[in-house]
Amino acid sequence: MIKLVNLFKSFGTKCITNGLNLEVNDGEFLAILGRSGEGKSVLLKQVIGLIQPDSGSVIIDGEDVTKLTGKKRQQFFHKCGYVFQFAALLDSLNVLENVGINLLEDGKSLEEIKDVVIERLRSVGLAPDVLDKYPDELSGGMKKRVGLARTLMLSPKILIYDEPTTGLDPITVRLIHELIQKTHIEQKLTSIVISHDIEIFKYATHVAMLNEGKIVYKGPTKDIWDCKDPFIYQFIRGLPEGPISQIGFVKEN
Amino acid sequence: MLQFVDYIGSTVLDTCSQFGRLGLFAYETLITLFTTKLKIKKIFYQMSYIGIGSVSIVFLVGIAIGAVLALQSYIGLERFGSTQFIGPIVFLSMAREFGPVFSALMVIGRAGSAMTAELGSMRISEQIDALQTLCINPMQYLVVPRVLASTLILPFLSIFCTFFGVMAGYVTAVYVLNINSEVYMETIRANAELSDIINGLIKSLFFGFLFSIIATYKGYFTRGGAKGLGISTTQSVVFANVTIILADYVLTSLMFAK
Repeated sequence: MIKLVNLFKSFGTKCITNGLNLEVNDGEFLAILGRSGEGKSVLLKQVIGLIQPDSGSVIIDGEDVTKLTGKKRQQFFHKCGYVFQFAALLDSLNVLENVGINLLEDGKSLEEIKDVVIERLRSVGLAPDVLDKYPDELSGGMKKRVGLARTLMLSPKILIYDEPTTGLDPITVRLIHELIQKTHIEQKLTSIVISHDIEIFKYATHVAMLNEGKIVYKGPTKDIWDCKDPFIYQFIRGLPEGPISQIGFVKEN
Repeated sequence: MLQFVDYIGSTVLDTCSQFGRLGLFAYETLITLFTTKLKIKKIFYQMSYIGIGSVSIVFLVGIAIGAVLALQSYIGLERFGSTQFIGPIVFLSMAREFGPVFSALMVIGRAGSAMTAELGSMRISEQIDALQTLCINPMQYLVVPRVLASTLILPFLSIFCTFFGVMAGYVTAVYVLNINSEVYMETIRANAELSDIINGLIKSLFFGFLFSIIATYKGYFTRGGAKGLGISTTQSVVFANVTIILADYVLTSLMFAK
């Protein structure tokens, strides 16, 4: 179980996370939605400890992640995987080396890891002919699949995706969403996906809405359509009129 | 007036905090170096990139400095009728001073800037964060091999620079200034001491460590996209060059006192 308790984070005078509380149960597929610049990525980076919150705690399976240091912190990533927005593949390594980087660091040879990597690539829908390609030779969708395959090599129990469909065409968006759902079910994961894209509602079991540094809604996906909160009502329907248009955007006329 | 005081105060505070963070980074690098397994392959790769890749420019610079030293020394020594001492002057200057300093400055321009740019680009594109999430220690994977390789390879480059400088001095003295070749070599043999070479090598070890710590630190903590990367790389080169010159004075003073 993941529990975020009274999380605060500011950059300079700008408050990004403002006393945020959230609980994610084991096996949940949670989609976190919010406007651009709302601090969704910062929130997730606090969950995995890449950004330290100013105050508050992130408790995963009873352990406060904000207090982990050294080897314990390194070991934590075996439990919790993170798929980056633009995959963050290492430029200087090919797909085989990128996906098998952990095994290579453990002293295994390229020949030894090849079969495991091919199997992992197949599980994310990639053929073995990408093994020798470098990240700049891959399309956006392929990069995200390789990024996912690399994270899955650690067999995490929790998988966090930072806007996995940004910059992709609608068909690839759908394929990536299906892949996330398939991985979630097959690997029996707890998945958290942040997105602007309400297409994710088709796949997620639960939805949380982030607004002004706080979670303003969390519940089963099917229930959100009945929610009468004006902010949520406007956001999920993509309406131009409502409270959101008055925050941060100048209206014409 | 108040604004000026504010500016001075914030600049001093910022500089102090930069030095503090750099010190902590160097400390963390040393702790990682002595407590984790060394990535031998990566160290050799870096040694090859920094060392072999820099031989040609160190060769050219060594030749130019050696030749200039011979010419300049001749002008002064001729007035005292002591032109036979050109050899030792070229040798001592190259071994104790110009070899270590100029090889370090050349490597900073070539490899130091590349280190900052590479790590900075990895930071901006979240590759360093990705390493962390893959249970890989970025200090062990990225920083330690570069720092260790630079520290170990710079003394060799310094020896190259000194050797080529002394040879260029020989060619200039013998073929341009008509100094007897045996006199050139014999006066070097008579006046050179092992400590001259050792002092130069100790300097090189320090320079290698200092410039690589600065270059990796600047890259590791790069922020602000492409513009930030440009600023980091420039700061890295300028800061490393100034540090080498200042460290040279400190080390020379310490060795002189001995």
